[in-house]
Order: sequence, then structure tokens, then C-alpha cells
Amino acid sequence: MTPIHRSRQRMTAVALAVLLLTLAACSQEYPNSTFHTNTEFNAAIDHLWNRLMFFGTLVFVLIEGLLIYAVFRYRRRENSPVPKQVHGSATLEILWTAIPALILVFIAVPTVRTIFETQADAAAGSLQVEVIGHQWWWEFRYPELGITTANELYLPVGRTVNFELKTHDVLHSFWIPHLGGKRDLITNRTNYLWFTPDTSMATKVQNGFCAEFCGESHANMKFRVFTVTPEQFESWAAHQASPAVFGATVPAAAPPAAGTAADSAAPAAAAASPAGATPVMLASAGGFTFAEADLPRYARPMTPIPASIRRLPPGMTGDPVRGQEAYQSTSCIGCHAIAGTPFNMANIGPDLTHVGSRTTIGAGLYPNDAEHLAMWIKNSRAMKPGVVMPTLGTNEFDPVTKLKISSGLSDQQVADIVAYLMALK
Amino acid sequence: MATIAAAPTYAPSTAASNTGMWSWITTVDHKRIAVMYLYTSLFFFMFGGLEAVIIRTQLIAPNGTILNAEIYNQLMTMHGTTMIFLAVMPLSAVFFNFLIPLQIGARDVAFPRLNAFSYWVYLFGGIVITMPIFFALAPNAGWFGYAPLTTPQFSPGVNIDYWVIGLQILGISSLAAGFNFITTIINMRAPGMNLMRMPIFTWMALVTQFLIILAFPAITVALIFLQFDRFFGTQFYAIAAGADPLLWQHLFWIFGHPEVYILVLPAFGLVSEIIPTFSRKPLFGYPVMVYSGILIGFLGFGVWAHHMFAVGMGPIADTMFSMMTLLIAIPTGVKIFNWISTMWGGALRFTTAMLFAIGLVSLFTIGGISGVMHGSPPADLQQTDTYFVVAHFHYVLFGGSIMAIFGGIYLYFPKMFGRLMNETLGKWHFWLYFIGMNLTFFPMHYAGMLGMPRRIYRYDGGQGWELFNLISTIGSYMLVVATAIFVYNFFRSRRSGAIATSDPWGAGTLEWSIPSPAPEYNFAEIPTVRSRYPVWDIKSSEHGAHEIPHGELGEIHMRDHSMDTASTEVEPAPKSAKELGIVLPNNTVMPAIAALSIALSSLGLVLMRNENKTVGVVWSVVSAIMIFVSIYYWMTTPLEDEH
Repeated sequence: MTPIHRSRQRMTAVALAVLLLTLAACSQEYPNSTFHTNTEFNAAIDHLWNRLMFFGTLVFVLIEGLLIYAVFRYRRRENSPVPKQVHGSATLEILWTAIPALILVFIAVPTVRTIFETQADAAAGSLQVEVIGHQWWWEFRYPELGITTANELYLPVGRTVNFELKTHDVLHSFWIPHLGGKRDLITNRTNYLWFTPDTSMATKVQNGFCAEFCGESHANMKFRVFTVTPEQFESWAAHQASPAVFGATVPAAAPPAAGTAADSAAPAAAAASPAGATPVMLASAGGFTFAEADLPRYARPMTPIPASIRRLPPGMTGDPVRGQEAYQSTSCIGCHAIAGTPFNMANIGPDLTHVGSRTTIGAGLYPNDAEHLAMWIKNSRAMKPGVVMPTLGTNEFDPVTKLKISSGLSDQQVADIVAYLMALK
Repeated sequence: MATIAAAPTYAPSTAASNTGMWSWITTVDHKRIAVMYLYTSLFFFMFGGLEAVIIRTQLIAPNGTILNAEIYNQLMTMHGTTMIFLAVMPLSAVFFNFLIPLQIGARDVAFPRLNAFSYWVYLFGGIVITMPIFFALAPNAGWFGYAPLTTPQFSPGVNIDYWVIGLQILGISSLAAGFNFITTIINMRAPGMNLMRMPIFTWMALVTQFLIILAFPAITVALIFLQFDRFFGTQFYAIAAGADPLLWQHLFWIFGHPEVYILVLPAFGLVSEIIPTFSRKPLFGYPVMVYSGILIGFLGFGVWAHHMFAVGMGPIADTMFSMMTLLIAIPTGVKIFNWISTMWGGALRFTTAMLFAIGLVSLFTIGGISGVMHGSPPADLQQTDTYFVVAHFHYVLFGGSIMAIFGGIYLYFPKMFGRLMNETLGKWHFWLYFIGMNLTFFPMHYAGMLGMPRRIYRYDGGQGWELFNLISTIGSYMLVVATAIFVYNFFRSRRSGAIATSDPWGAGTLEWSIPSPAPEYNFAEIPTVRSRYPVWDIKSSEHGAHEIPHGELGEIHMRDHSMDTASTEVEPAPKSAKELGIVLPNNTVMPAIAALSIALSSLGLVLMRNENKTVGVVWSVVSAIMIFVSIYYWMTTPLEDEH
């Protein structure tokens, strides 16, 4: 076999391997793959990518092929004479200036077209979503619907969503790889990003990430995106717009008047829920939500729990009514808002109005269940580096102040608060 | 190839005045400064590599536990900062220092004491920026240090103070060296060496120095703003006062993108020396290689905002910067085709240096192609800040700069130390680097396009990233083994490698006409240059010897080793400068003291902000006096003894 043959075979093998890996990358095992056409935004990017990949492969094969050929063909042999001293060739050099220039034209034209297409204003009637970055969690507001939530987005398929991107502190970047490119959240500026999840995305969940380094817990700033049918979205939105309800059986959620939902939330309605009522914790009562059990593996948080946090004693159950009292009489209200209660002014931590309806806590770090929530309340700083929330559990070791908490919440109080929060469906 | 090592010539010896610690601290000889740069930058290269390997070990599997978030962020920041400012830039400076005077036929650089000063500032700046990691207080906001994360509001600790100060100290070193080399190249070329006869490495070095002196002021401005915000309460980046964080990003990347070419153009220069040497052919299209280097440097200043396609600059700016970025691919492509054409029809010898040069051509191509991919802003929105970008710039900086620098070390080791490096170990080094590098960085393309963000200290399982991260980490261990082989080879060859002749590779440029190691005065007689490859002319022309009088007493002590002819003749040891009546600059310790004082005075600022104001002020004032005194003595001492 001649060296040329061998090198050609190698080239083919390399090209095949690259191709196979690329194909593999499109399969189900890659839940955050960017090679998708789930939105018009991603379809446009995918189209460009294919073109870049085509010309890239062409140039790669050409250059590496020539190089390998030269390496084998011009190896110095015994008694080779001094090679012909060639100094250059104007023709050749003009040729390999012109050909890349031509290739670049084929890349530049669709690039410019896509830049202007994707950065045009979103279509009228798009769903407006305000994204506010915080170190290290996401605040999501639906201004037209009167909804404030955190770390979990619900988006109806088939409707354009227009994100208004802002940050409360440092720079972040809002990225859902499965649905499109990212856009940075810049302090003192507002950015926009829009796309339309197509109908094939109904009742699916995607992972979202912060893509701009934003400090200690940058890796722990994730979110979930639920793309749902318009009906499911209506149901979810109607409930999320209503004030916190726990205890009484929830009436079939009436669609709130857009924009006035917050006003109509009579503050006393839920806070004054009859103490005697048995708390009912039914997801169905709270409009559509994505059930935690339905989450695919890639959307289930798998962060290991730090061993240092003591769990609640086995069998300890909390009482949501006592929990509400504990919540309202401790520092919780200093940072978290719960619509429909008198303590609805703080905006330092995530809004907890419907915290029980979410699937994760800690910006996608842990599943939202009683066990994890209890540990979070006791010692969030050990569970997520850098969080502002103080360590609250008695006898917990605060990793920042390096002190043991002597007068914090008792295990029973934590269990009660957990019961209360879990009831806020 | 073994025969080239067989020629015993003179034993490398050093005069008594040239030994001992003190002679190194006070030296102003560009070759000895180059050696100090070499040791220091190799140390930092391994230090930065160690940081990388710890990072890779943390990421070998989901939810790694060997590092916590804070330490990971420090290591990640320091890996980038160390590799860029303390390893690759000074590794290029090794060759600037060593080669520029030798290639242009000069006895030293234009300002020998400023040259020593540059080295000492680099060393002390490197210590200032590296030291805090031993106390877990290292900078932790990324090598790009984006405001407002670096402002006192979000980074109140001492970490960023060291970063701001350390980078400014290092900037002094780069700027001083930049002006020094420009002056040297413009003014000190040997007779007959017009610009278009200048070796291509020196050309690329010249372009690089212009990039340095034009780009570093931008980051200096950015850093001074940040320094004043942190130390004196100004509000350039204070978001509460309405600051626009894009101010930092623009200033940083106006420096940051030319910086990429500062890192890679010297590598292009080295490869353009290696490939012709081992192809036994002149560089194909020399003028185009020069112009493309200049064009890359020029266009490099117009593309900075392609690092910012996700910040929302608007479609017009995105289009502008995208087009400029695509344009840069053209001169870069020309270089690659010209290197291949240089090999075409040649008589290729696969020495370790040549393997590294071919490695650059093949790997940099991949980095160039992925670079064009980010050059398209909509596509970049899926790529930026992911592992795809990490893969891209490691193909450029490892596949480009590092491959060429190691090629350069194997090539110039004999001229530096008078001995050859072991070729067998060298080839192990190369192949482990080549394979390890691809194993480490190629899978990152996939991880990135499959949604893995950069700069994360842990990730969940089930995201489709496990395999790629595992392979990357294994690859990084291979790089460690290869580097260990190199270090062993380096020190072994330094002590007992085969003695090198003046021109062990059969190369064509001026530095190969003088003995190995280069005598302290470089050229006994300043040569006259008539072509781009004067040494080849001598060997292939009977008249050459008369045209290029450069050996001592006008004789040419050179034989043709390019065809592996074994030589058993003994070259006479070169005469000393005194014997030849050559006046050399005197040693002085003042540049080192001035540099030390600059580093100390900056630490006074850190003390002022974080410890005790009075102590800090006193400390700064004392070091400022030291700066003044040392520079005064430096300026008032004559460079050379009276003729």
C-alpha cells in the first residue's frame, strides 16, 4: 500500500468517526444538545451550523490531506539531493487567498441574514416574560399575567415568547440549549431574546443554565423550562396568578383578569385561613403543574447532600398552621414574599407564593421535597456555596461565619415550616 | 540523525565571572536573560498545568468533590492567568530575547539593562499574582475579570486586589520589553539585512511587539479604573452609580483579542524557521508570510467584540465584528498553505522540532476552523461560554503556541546550552503531547455543543457529558506524563547531551553561523548579509565565504552537517570578549532592585486596603524611594566601561 493510500484511508476513518459522533450527538442521550430545530431560533442556528460544518470539514480534509501527503511523499531519503529552492508562486498564493475568501462569502451572507432575523423585535402578541438574574437564582415574571416565580419557567408551545433580560447584580447569561442561543443579562441594561417552541415540544422539560461566570455558585444557577400545551399553560398560569392558598379546598381556579391579578389578591384571604381546616395538599387543586414523578432523568437534580447537615428525626411531621406562624414570626419574611399574606414585600430571595408547586429548590440543585427543603432551611449555606440565606437550624454549623448556630429554629419548627411551604401549591 | 550529535567540539565552558547566583541576578546579557525567562516560564507552565490537572480531576465525573466552588474558581482563574501571562507570553519572550539579536546579527538588544528589568518585573509580578493561591486567597473572578463581579461590592476580599495589581506589574514588563525589541529590530540589524531579508521569526516578533505596545495600554486603563474603584472608592464600574459593565468588556477585549495574536504570532514565527530548516527549502512565499503576519496583527485590533456577541450589541455591531473576524481567516489560511508548500518538494527530516511544527500546522487548522464557527454570531450564541469555546482556544493556544514553543526549545537548545536534546525522548514527548492534546480537547467540542457551560465546578449526571469529560481528564494525565519526560530530557541533556556543533540542523539563518553555545559577544565580527538564508549561501556557493565575514578573524568555522556527514573535527573554543577587544555592557543589580521595589510598592496598596492603612502607606513610600534610588543609580552608571 502506498503512503498516499494509507493517508487517504486514515482521512476517511477520521471523517467517519467525526460523522458518527455527530450523529450520536443527536440522539436522546443528549438532553441539552444544541443540534435541534425545536424553535425557529434554533432552526436558524442549526442551518448556519450545518453550513459552517460543511465548509469546515472541507477545509479540514483538504489541509490535513495535503499535510499528510507531503509528510509521506517528501520524507528525505538516502542521498537525496538538495531540493529545488522554490521561493513562492504568485499564482498559487492568489489562489489560496481567493478560494477561502469565496468560501467566507458563502458563510457571511446567511450569517448577516440570520443576525438581522433573530434580532428583530418579537412579533406582536408574544408572551412577555421578564427574566431577572440574581446570584445565584432566576426570578421569572409574567407581567401580563401577574405571575412571579423562580427557577421554573412554563412556556406554551406554538406561541412566541419574548424574554426581557435583566440582572439584579452581576452579569449572567440566560441559556436553554435545547431551545436556542444564549443572551447575557447585563447590569443597568435590558436585553431581549425571543423564540417559539414548536408544537412537538408539548409537555416536555428542558434544562436551562447560567452561561456567564457570575461568582462562587455559577455552576449552581440552573433552571427548568416546561414547554406545555396552551391549555396546560392556561391552567398553570391561572393558578400561579392567584394568591397563596393553603388549607381550604381550592375552588376551580377562576381565570384572573390580566394585569389585575395582584390587586385582586385580597391579602387576608389566605392568611386568615381557618385554623381548623385540614390542610389539603393536592397538586390538582392548584392548576396544572409538572409532576415531579414525571420528570425525565436529566431534569432530576442529583446534587449530593452534604453529610454535615443533620436530618430531621425520622417520623417527625410538621403542622402547616404552626409552620405558617413560625414562618411569619421569624426572619423568613425579611427576604421572601408570599402573595396573599401580609408579609409580601421582600424581594431578596425567591417568591414562595406557590413554592409547593415547583419541582426543584436552590435553582435546580435539589428536588423539592420535605426532606430536602428541611435541610435547606436548616443549612442552605452548606447545600449551596455562597447563598445569602442564613443558616437557621439550631446546632448547625454555618460554613461562612464558622460558628455553630445556638438559637435558631428547632427541628420541629423546621418541620412545621416545611409543611407550610409544601402546602403552598 | 544520530550522527549530528557525534561531533565532539569544544566543551561548553563559562568564564569565572559568569558563574554564581550573583552573576545571574546582575546579568544584562540577552542570552542569559533568555535562559532565566526559560526556567521561570517553564516553571509557571507546569504550575498552570498542575492547576489544570486538578480542575480536570474534579470534572472527571459528575458532582466531583475534590474541590469546593471557591477553590475551583481560584484554580480556574489562575490557570488562565498563569498560562497566558506567566507561561506562554514569557515563553515567547525566551525566543525574543535569545533570537532577535542573533538573527539580526547584533551583540545584544538595544537596551540591555531595560531587558534585565523586564525579566525581573515579570518574575516579581508573577510571584505577586501566584502567591495568594497558597493561602486560598487567589483571584477568583476568571482571567477576564468581568465587572461588576470584580468590583468591591461583589468581590470585597483581597483576591481581586492581587489580580489587579499583578496584571499591571506584568504589563510594565511586557511594555518595556516591547519598546526594547522594536528599537533593537529597527536599528541594530547587521549591514545588508534589509527588512525583507530579516528572518521570519524576527518579523513576527516585531509585529508582536507592536501589538503589545498598542494593546497593553487598553487593559492598563481598564485595570487602573478597577484599581481606583477598589482602592480609592471611584465608581467607574459601580453599578449602583449607573455604571455600564460593557465599559470593562470593551476595554478588556480591545486588549484581549490582540493578546491572542501576541500569543500565537511568535509561534508562527518559530514554525516558519523550523519548517524550512528541516525541509531544506526556503520559506514558501516569504513576502506573503510577512504581509499576512502584519495583516493579522492589524485586523486583530478590529475584532475584539466577537467575544461579546451574546451581550446584545445589536445587529449592526454584530455584523461588523463578524465580517472582520471572518476576514482574519484569510491571512491565517495563507500561512498554513505556505507552510505546506514549503514542505512540498522538500527533503523532510522528522526531528522532534519538525514534528512539533507539523503538529502546529495540523492542530491550529482545527482551532482556526472552529474560530470561523464562532465568527458567525447566531451560531456563536450556542457556542460562546460553553466547552466548545474551551476546545477552540486550546487548539489555538496549545495546538498553536505551545506546540511551536516546544518545537523552538528542541531547535534552539543546542544554541543556548551547547548540547543537543535527546531525540528519542523528544519524540515520546511529541507523540504523547499530540495524542494527549487531542484526547483532552477534542471531546470538549462535543461537551460544549451538547450544552455544557464553561467555568462550572460540578455538573449533574445524565446530561450526556460524562464520557467526554472522562476522556478529557485521561488526556490531561497523558500531557502530564509527556511534560515529565520533557523535563527529564531537558535536565539530562543539559548535563550530558551530545555536544552540538555550530549548526547541528543545517539551518540557514545567521544564528547558526556562530558557535554553540553562542559566545557572550554573539558575533566576533558583525556579518554582512546578502540573502534570507546566508548560511545556506555559504554552503552552496564558493563565494559565500567572502561575502559573509562573521567568524572570528573573518574565518568561517562551519561545515555542512545538513546531510548527516559525521564530523570528528574539534572546533576551537571561541575566544573571550576581552581577547577580541569587544566591549560588553557591565553587570548591574539596579534593574532587579527597581523591579523588586515596584512589586513591593504595589503590595503596599494591598496592605492599605486590607490590613493597616498606616503600615500600607509607609510600605508604599519606602518602596517608592527604593524605586527612585535604584533607577537613579541605574541611570547614572555608564552602560559599558570606557573604550
